[in-house]
Amino acid sequence: MLIYRVLWTSSCTNLYFAIQRCLLMPDDLRLDVFDSAALSEPGLNESRGTFLRRAFAGGGAILAGGAVIAGLPRSADSAPSPAQDAEILNLALLLEYMESAFFTEASFSGKLTGELLEFAQIVRGHERAHVEFLRSALGTKARKEPKFDFGDATKDPKAFTSAAVRLQDLIVAAYNGQATNLTTGALESAAKIVSVEARHAGWIRAIAQENPAPDATDTPKTAAQVTAAVNRTNFVSSD
Amino acid sequence: MQGDLTLQELDRDGAIHEAFDGVNSRASFLRNAVIGSGALLGVLAAPRESDAASPSDNAILNFALTLEYLQAAFYTETERAHAIGAELARVPRQLGSVERAHVFALRKVLGRAAVKRPSFDFKGVTEDQVKFLKTAVAFEDLGAAAYKGQATRVDSPALLAAAVAIHSVEARHAAWMRYLAGFTPAGRAFDEPKKELEVRRIVASTHFIAARPRTTRRRKPRFTG
Repeated sequence: MLIYRVLWTSSCTNLYFAIQRCLLMPDDLRLDVFDSAALSEPGLNESRGTFLRRAFAGGGAILAGGAVIAGLPRSADSAPSPAQDAEILNLALLLEYMESAFFTEASFSGKLTGELLEFAQIVRGHERAHVEFLRSALGTKARKEPKFDFGDATKDPKAFTSAAVRLQDLIVAAYNGQATNLTTGALESAAKIVSVEARHAGWIRAIAQENPAPDATDTPKTAAQVTAAVNRTNFVSSD
Repeated sequence: MQGDLTLQELDRDGAIHEAFDGVNSRASFLRNAVIGSGALLGVLAAPRESDAASPSDNAILNFALTLEYLQAAFYTETERAHAIGAELARVPRQLGSVERAHVFALRKVLGRAAVKRPSFDFKGVTEDQVKFLKTAVAFEDLGAAAYKGQATRVDSPALLAAAVAIHSVEARHAAWMRYLAGFTPAGRAFDEPKKELEVRRIVASTHFIAARPRTTRRRKPRFTG
C-alpha cells in the first residue's frame, strides 16, 4: 500500500524569491510516495498536530495580478492551537470574502438567468453568512477584505459557471486540507461549512453537466497550494 | 502528482469480493474502476500496526462502514434492477462504485474488527426512479451529517484526513441527488452534524437492514463447578 506524504520544499519566506519561484512553480509542494511503513514512523501517528504538519505550509507572499496575497506564516508548523486556528481561519476568510463578493456581483450583474441566477443568489447568502461567522470568530484578528476584480466571470454565464466550479472545488480542498491542523472546536465549525461548500460544488457541477463528485475522496490542498490557486485566479486586485 | 489507485491494486486479498459476494458479475468492473484521489483511500487502506487504532476509532470506523454498506448495497441493487431511466442510469453506477470503494477501504483498515455486511431489504425503492432519488437524497444527507458528527471524535490524524475527504464527497452526492430530485441542493449556510445514536435510529426506522451484523462469535455458555 502506498501513502502519500506531503513534503514542503524550501520556502517562500523571501518575497522576491517567492515571486520568482512561485511564478515558475505555483504549487511549491512535492508529493512523494512512501511505503506504508512510513505510517508507523513516529511523527506521523503522534497527534493531529504533527500529522501533515509539513503540509501545513506556505510562507511569504505570492504575486497575483498586481496584488500580493500573503501566505500563512511558518509558525503554523506546530500542534493545533488557538493561534494556529486564527491563521487557518483567516485563510478560509479570504476564500469566503472572494466567494461572497463573486456571487454578490454575479447575482446583480443582470446577466444570469434561470438556475444559474438561482444558484448565485442562494450561494451568495451562504457565503455572506460564512464571512460573518469567521469575522465574528476571529474578532480583531480578522483580515480585511481585499478588493476583487472578477472581470467577465460575474457577467458571462459560461465564464461564471467555470469560475464557480473552480472556486467551490478550491474551498472544499482548502477546508479539508486544514482539518488535522485545527483544534476540536474550530474543526467542528469548519465541518459545518465545508459540506455546504461541497454541496455548492456538486450543485454548480450538476448545472454545468459536469460530474458533481468525480472522485471517491476529495483531494485536500495545503495552505500553500490554496494561496497559489487564489493567486492564479487573478481575482484579487488589491490586498 | 498523485497516481490513481485502482481497486485491482488495492484489492490484494479479495476483500471486495467478500464484501459483495452478490455482485461477483461486476468483479471486472470493480477491479478496473479507478478510485479517484487514491492517496487518501490508500492511507485508509494501508495496513496498520495493531496498536495504531484506538478502540474508539475502530467503533467510529465500524459505524461509518455500516452506513457505507447500506449506501453501496442500495446503489448496487438499483444499478442491477435497471429501473432507472437511461439519462439517470449512470447515477447508481457511479455512486455505487464510489460507495463500494469506501466500503473496501474501511474494511481494509478495520481488518478482522470489521462488522459483517448485513442483509438488506430495500422494499422496492431500488426499482422506482422517484423513490430511488428520494431515498438517495436521504442517504446522502444522512451520510454527510454522520461523518460530520464523528469528525471531532477521531483520534488518529490519518483517519481524520481520510474521513473529511469522504465527508465532503457525501455532501457533493447529497447536492447532486437533491438537484436531480428537484430539491434545493444546499438549503442552509451551515450543515449540522448528527450523532451516532440519532443516525442509527434513522437507519433503523427505514427497516432496510434485514439482519443485524454480528461482531462477535456466539459462545456456548460455560458452566463451572
